[in-house]
Amino acid sequence: MKTPSPLGLWAWFAGTRVGRSIFRVGPPRSNLERSQAMVSSFLLHVQPAKVSRHSLRASYSLGLGLISLYLFFILTGTGVLLMFYYVPSTTQAYDRMKDLQFVVSAGLVVRNMHRWAAHLMVAFVMLHMCRVFYTGAYKQPREFNWLLGVGLFLTTLGLSFTGYLLPWDQLAFWAITVGSNIAGYAPVVGPGIKYLLLGGNTVGQEALTRFYALHVIVLPAVAGLMVAVHLFRVRKDGGLSRPDEPAEDAQSIPLGQLPTNKSYGLMELARGTTPQVGRDPDDEVFAWPHLIFRELLLFLLVVAFVLFLAVFWNAPLEELANPIHPPNPAKAPWYFLGLQELVSYSAFWGGVVVPALLVTALALLPYLDRRREGVGRWFARERRVANTVFSICLVIAIALTIVGTMFRGPNWGWVVPWRTPPAMTQEH
Amino acid sequence: MNPSTPTENEVTRRGFFQLTMGWIAGSFAAAATAVATVRFLVPNVVFEPAQRFKAGAPGDYPDGSVTFLEDERVFLVRRGNTFRCLSAVCTHLGCTVNRSEKGYHCPCHGSTFNADGNVESGPAPRALTWFLVTLSKDNRLLVDKGESVASDKYLIL
Ligand code: HEM
Ligand code: FES
Repeated sequence: MKTPSPLGLWAWFAGTRVGRSIFRVGPPRSNLERSQAMVSSFLLHVQPAKVSRHSLRASYSLGLGLISLYLFFILTGTGVLLMFYYVPSTTQAYDRMKDLQFVVSAGLVVRNMHRWAAHLMVAFVMLHMCRVFYTGAYKQPREFNWLLGVGLFLTTLGLSFTGYLLPWDQLAFWAITVGSNIAGYAPVVGPGIKYLLLGGNTVGQEALTRFYALHVIVLPAVAGLMVAVHLFRVRKDGGLSRPDEPAEDAQSIPLGQLPTNKSYGLMELARGTTPQVGRDPDDEVFAWPHLIFRELLLFLLVVAFVLFLAVFWNAPLEELANPIHPPNPAKAPWYFLGLQELVSYSAFWGGVVVPALLVTALALLPYLDRRREGVGRWFARERRVANTVFSICLVIAIALTIVGTMFRGPNWGWVVPWRTPPAMTQEH
Repeated sequence: MNPSTPTENEVTRRGFFQLTMGWIAGSFAAAATAVATVRFLVPNVVFEPAQRFKAGAPGDYPDGSVTFLEDERVFLVRRGNTFRCLSAVCTHLGCTVNRSEKGYHCPCHGSTFNADGNVESGPAPRALTWFLVTLSKDNRLLVDKGESVASDKYLIL
């Protein structure tokens, strides 16, 4: 007897009455059926039926956006599980974390997965942003999608920061104390924002309640919506950026000349971004199976990697939060340590001016840098200046982060990482 | 066709009125919602320890002592017959400062303060805050953390 393959099983099930009512089509065998498989499924129809080969090339996108998306899925799944045990109360939160570690079946792994996926997501969103920059993919018509991306980047940091307080251990308490005091340095609105964020003057129960609400519903909902629009725009902007793409104004067709009897094709033609415009059809392949199977494979790899980390390394949990004794040194999460390093020179410049300038520059970038040369290629020579400026900022940010993470010890004094007594180091 | 039906670009009195009223009503509703939401989020009552607290009898503090009161995050400083109270909250980013040989020292980013609470080194932008100390009717030291005073203001007994 032959062992049934998943596709064989699907073919059999799609042949039954019930199966047909659910799937409409079985595993596709012809090109027509490949298109049908994509458009007749709710989960697949958000993607196009055909994609260009360029978009599929792993060496172009490196799959970084998809990896961010999959990490977001993992975080949502494990986060919901954690909610079944966690209580956002200063007297209970810490004990609940201990329960998750030592009492709840698989609680340790779920917590570890959530924590490692959170760190990874921050890292991969940053990497994705770098990829988009170095390939010039933020240019017309994708300016707004870059802007959405900046919003997603900030929301990701917000998610991570609010989640940081929830275990209510020393690390949590002092990272948030330091972080919210940085916000307090903003001119005029600073103290008000800090009071609003903490629901009071110090980090306490009110702050925990607020951070919990932000972390489990407000920010995930905002992020989820923005991700949806982000992906919608990737498709509406004609798939991934590519070198031979005509500029948008060259593509647009005056509305009056279009046939009005087919509204669906009209929408895409009107934007000048159907896959047909300006491209050789031979350059395209069917999303099923070329795109779908790559996505599935990448998803499995991401889950496997997070699971691997979670099984072999435990997320840190320090002592119960103690408002009287700050740990020495008190460190923010790693992605804020570059800022904290700056803050150790001047809280106003490091905590307010530099981050505000950086975010403004990122948001304005696609509207200021409008030349079309070099779009769709890594490190294009035509973009030498932009690439150099970005790289310098990147190197400074990385250097500051490394200094803050590894070279700062007690009293924020210099330490050499390989000589630090282990009890003093604090990472994660 | 009604003869007064406006063509596409014509502004009629009614159209102008409707549009203006629409904008006003819309902005008002949006502004009211925004204000009410922000106002809702600003707590009217905070469940934090009272700003004024009794710090025991003056005699509890030996002459020349600097005592850390954990729960209040302050130092009580007695010199001769004078009493002062210094905030232990670092003015940089809110860590709790420790005593050091010359004064105070913050573990988080290494700010140091002299015995008067003034910044000696490090990123702290301001001196540590001194709080008003008075004597209550039942002869206890009364500290008001809502009231800051100059470093040379003492309670003299
Ligand atoms: C939660 C975070 C994010 C998720 C889940 C996400 C997801 C994605 C995905 C799946 C793609 C398709 C191509 C790829 O995989 O690279 C994409 C493309 C894109 N993303 Fe993101 N992204 C995120 C954050 C950002 C950020 C921070 C930026 C930049 C500031 C950004 C800007 C863009 C742009 C401009 C494109 C189009 C690229 C092209 O056409 O070549 N995204 N994003
Ligand atoms: S909080 Fe005291 S030096 Fe930064």
